[in-house]
Amino acid sequence: MSLKIETRFGRIRVERRVGYGRLYSISMTLLSLALAFLVVALILASLGLDPVKAFQVIFGVFMKPSLLLESIKQSIPICLAALGLSIAFKMNFWNIGAEGQIYMGMIASTGIVLLHAYYGFFHEWMVMPLMFLASFLLGGAWCLIPGALKARLGVNEILPTLMLNYVAILIVDFLVHGPWRDPKGYGFPLSIPFPEYTKLNIVLGEPAYTGLLFSILGAAAVFFLLEYTKLGFEIKVVGQSPAVARYAGIRVRSTILLGSFLAGGLAGIGGLSIVSGIIGRLRPGASPGYGYTAIIVAALAGLNPWVTVAVSIFFGGLITAGGALQMSMGIPKAAAQMIQAVIFLMILVGEFIKRYRIVIERPGASER
Amino acid sequence: MEKLVELRGIVKRFPGVVANDRVDFELRRGEVHALLGENGAGKTTLMNILYGLYKPDEGEIYVRGKRVELRSPRDAISLGIGMVHQNFRLVESHTVLENIILGLREDGLRIDFEKHRRRIIELSERYGWKIDPMARIWQLSAGEKQQVELLKILYRGAEILILDEPTSVLTVQETRRLFEALRRMAREGKGIIFITHKLNEVMEVSDRVTVMRRGRVVITKETRETTKAELANYMIGRPIVFGQKKASAQLGAVVLKVIDLKVLGDRGYPAVNGVSLEVRRGEILGIAGVSGNGQVELAEAIAGLRKPLAGRILLNGVDATGMDAGKMIELGVAYIPPEGNKLGIVPGFRVVDNLFLKAYRYPPYSNKLLLNWGKMLEKARELIEEFGIVTPSALSRASSLSGGNIQRLILARELSGIIGGIPRLIVAAYPTKGLDIGATEFVHDLLLRYKEMGSGIIFISEDLEELLLLSDRIAVMSGGRIRGVLAREEADAEKIGLLMSEAVVQAG
Amino acid sequence: MIEWIESVLGLTIQVGTVYLLASLGEIYAERSGVLNLGLEGIMVMGAALSFIFTLAYGHLVAILVSVVTGILMSLILAVMAVYMRLNQTVTGLALTMLGLGLSGFLASPEVRKVMLLALNPLLPESLLAIQEAPKLPEIHVPLLSGIPIIGCFFRQNVLVYVSYIAAPLMWFILFKTRPGLSLRSVGENPAAADAMGINVFRVRCVATMISGGFAGLAGAYLFLGFQPFWREGLTAGKGFIALSLVILSTWNPLRAILGAYLFGGVEVIQYRLQLFGLGALSPYLLTMLPYLVAIAALVAVSIESVRKRIGVPASLGIPYSREE
Repeated sequence: MSLKIETRFGRIRVERRVGYGRLYSISMTLLSLALAFLVVALILASLGLDPVKAFQVIFGVFMKPSLLLESIKQSIPICLAALGLSIAFKMNFWNIGAEGQIYMGMIASTGIVLLHAYYGFFHEWMVMPLMFLASFLLGGAWCLIPGALKARLGVNEILPTLMLNYVAILIVDFLVHGPWRDPKGYGFPLSIPFPEYTKLNIVLGEPAYTGLLFSILGAAAVFFLLEYTKLGFEIKVVGQSPAVARYAGIRVRSTILLGSFLAGGLAGIGGLSIVSGIIGRLRPGASPGYGYTAIIVAALAGLNPWVTVAVSIFFGGLITAGGALQMSMGIPKAAAQMIQAVIFLMILVGEFIKRYRIVIERPGASER
Repeated sequence: MEKLVELRGIVKRFPGVVANDRVDFELRRGEVHALLGENGAGKTTLMNILYGLYKPDEGEIYVRGKRVELRSPRDAISLGIGMVHQNFRLVESHTVLENIILGLREDGLRIDFEKHRRRIIELSERYGWKIDPMARIWQLSAGEKQQVELLKILYRGAEILILDEPTSVLTVQETRRLFEALRRMAREGKGIIFITHKLNEVMEVSDRVTVMRRGRVVITKETRETTKAELANYMIGRPIVFGQKKASAQLGAVVLKVIDLKVLGDRGYPAVNGVSLEVRRGEILGIAGVSGNGQVELAEAIAGLRKPLAGRILLNGVDATGMDAGKMIELGVAYIPPEGNKLGIVPGFRVVDNLFLKAYRYPPYSNKLLLNWGKMLEKARELIEEFGIVTPSALSRASSLSGGNIQRLILARELSGIIGGIPRLIVAAYPTKGLDIGATEFVHDLLLRYKEMGSGIIFISEDLEELLLLSDRIAVMSGGRIRGVLAREEADAEKIGLLMSEAVVQAG
Repeated sequence: MIEWIESVLGLTIQVGTVYLLASLGEIYAERSGVLNLGLEGIMVMGAALSFIFTLAYGHLVAILVSVVTGILMSLILAVMAVYMRLNQTVTGLALTMLGLGLSGFLASPEVRKVMLLALNPLLPESLLAIQEAPKLPEIHVPLLSGIPIIGCFFRQNVLVYVSYIAAPLMWFILFKTRPGLSLRSVGENPAAADAMGINVFRVRCVATMISGGFAGLAGAYLFLGFQPFWREGLTAGKGFIALSLVILSTWNPLRAILGAYLFGGVEVIQYRLQLFGLGALSPYLLTMLPYLVAIAALVAVSIESVRKRIGVPASLGIPYSREE
């Protein structure tokens, strides 16, 4: 790297750091987080809002058991979607469409519930497994569209995945305003409330615990896939270089199809966890951008499945704090989104600082 | 005679190496000065310093007698220094004219296309070139692209011309034309630095020659006062033995038969246009020719990386036409790709991952679903030992290996037989390009060993010496066709050159 | 009939101008090798700020603030993606999230009130809580606006006229001038440009800032010129559609005009169909139309580019560094 800036005071040079330890890496990430909160504090202070009090509210979320449980609950869809993204990003498949895949997962699970409730299909005990299956399949299928476009026609996936987010959200709008509207819902755009046996808490009682269990199981599955299976190896080779993958005799197209399907499927289950774990019915805007938050989480966790679980809870906490901020300080809910974005930017800058170091040379001193 | 350039005591260090160690060099007005040395001798580094791309750690640069400090190519350009890099720096989708005037600070904001067009035609005619200024670069041949590079420099009125390995992409004819143009430029009073590792070219075109070895200047001499043998001695530090590595040629059954093969290139035109050839067990078939004449596309078609447009590929009598790379691997085809550090490995992966880039999916290294890392690591350690790959461990990243070791890693993967026995057919595309002498010999010996073990080998190279050294037969390729096949006994550089240039005439 | 055509065409131009302004700048960024995925976020910031500043100081200041903000936001991207060589997709996305979050935050009733009072303490109480701002006035060009059908091109607000001038001007700069040549070369082969003494980093930085400025302008236009009623995230993916449009236009400002009006037309058709009772089926399904058309356009261009070798800037998305 040879970025050099000549100044009056000397030459500022940026060098690639040759290897760094894990401890260094973690401390740089923490530093970036601290920096992010500093920026947020500046924004709040400049608008006459008390940053100290705001941070007390935000970090208070992790101290109070009820709010912590809420944070864990909020973290489930984020975590599952982020795990899916880890697969996609390892494959160098820029899936920005987790949000849409989450919505499709919600549609699928609601669909199963309605089939059962309206038409009496399936036994009660079958509904939950079928919801899992359906949300995985539909979420996967939604991601398979850009996957197939990329594999078959070479269409870059970034914009199609983005567009399909808007389409998925509109499908939900259509359904809850139309055919799936609760007849006893006074005309509000809501589905019927889910029966108890279709809710996440049927496994461990509290939805947060059940969800956490699924997050950890998901992390284990993704870890195992990437480290110990042939498909995982192929996904990583394709991600590093499709040309080398082809050379190695790997079927690049099928790998992309399978990988994108799995990625979308996990996000789909994330959708299930929203309707059956957090809200208990389908409504418009059911996800306040979990799928986008998942991108930040995946990046911050460095695509490591285990770290993803922990980071998701942190971001679940931020979303929970958004509500708390509004109630206690009248700070609009959008603040949570803003804080997330600032963290995201700072984490990225942190990545740069991790990899490079800045050297300032005084004039006359020779280059090392 | 006036000194155009003088470099004094140049030192340039990179992490772990001293690329230039107290180098002195001078260029006079009106001379072609050859800078001779092996790969990695420090020639290109020295010239990048003169072109302002690198800053020397120590030493002084004088241009026309005045001490200068070069902070960027822009400084060099304004001093009348121009450089043609080994890999062309041209914008492929732009026109010749746009490339030539790029970065030129002349007249206003608006580009006066007509004025430049006229001036470019004038200038190129002076050197006997026929170049359409409005043609797009990707439509040009390698020789024409080089002319554009030179025009770019001359258009800025450069007097000091640096050419880095300019003939590596040229046919014999194009090389001759280039040399004529260079002589003419020298007569006009320009100074030309000609970087090369080819002795013939030094003798043919240069007035003086400076030999570099391991970052140091060995000697500077008038060309007519020296000989090829003496230069070779300076260059390598010991006399070269121009002998043949005779290996018993016991030819067996036909391994590969290619019939009238046509393959599309990246540009959408047939890069291989009706090639037929045959390789037997225990035979090395050399493929000679200037690179970019369909050799890589031919190799990729045989390796299953490109679907043939027409024709057939038979492996051991089995029709393998249109099979994908995975199938070809299973049929026993090993492929050593050109530029192994880009296409042959995943730099971010560990050595063990790279060694098993192909074999991971076959037992005993995996079952239907799962990988067996234990088995792979065990075998990887064996291979590292056997092929002498210098690496801290099997778990180190491949990106930390040197070029020679990356090539050893690729050879270990392709040849060691971890995918079901020794390969039946080895396709080696430029396997020694960029390697030092030691690594090159390792590759040569390995190929000969596999020849003796009964593999059929296709050996693609630009280096005639190397081809004559190893091949049983040599096929000369140009314009996507085989122009002739010579047995080793009857082959020599002149005949091969003739076949190459005849083809150019035919091609138009 | 003519009236109907005029109203549809006029509306098409109005919607299309959002896309045109946004894509013009983005063409420059991408031609220089930088994908500005922050477009959506910059546009929504432009919209939010033009809302607040119009209330405080009027249209002119509002537009200027939007443009300057766009430039500053894209400067973040330029520093991170060009100088720090971070992944452009991720960085751009982060910028979009920032724009969406920050705009929602600033334009929310609570914060907006604080801002408005700080900007202009004399503002009447009634303006502090309203969700809309005055629209940009239409300017009728004498004579030309009277021509049937064509006339509707000349009964538009000032920013539409700006887009009429900007598109050909930016085409000319890109293809016929020195800075344009440098910019295109940097996006195709930065090493070649560097070798000829062009500062690759600076050119990319400036091109990215141009894209930010235009995106800010597009956001201001979207709010002031088209739907001056604030709601959170009102761009609704228009920035991303503009990004597809850039590809559809094969990175050519003149072709972007056609593409922009095509997308404008699609949206107008959608409104019209809703009026015609097809909307009774559901407005939500029709609203999908632009997104689906954008995907279809991407697919079409992709197929086409294989056939005709349409030039994606060869170094798009790849950070540059001199290798040492």
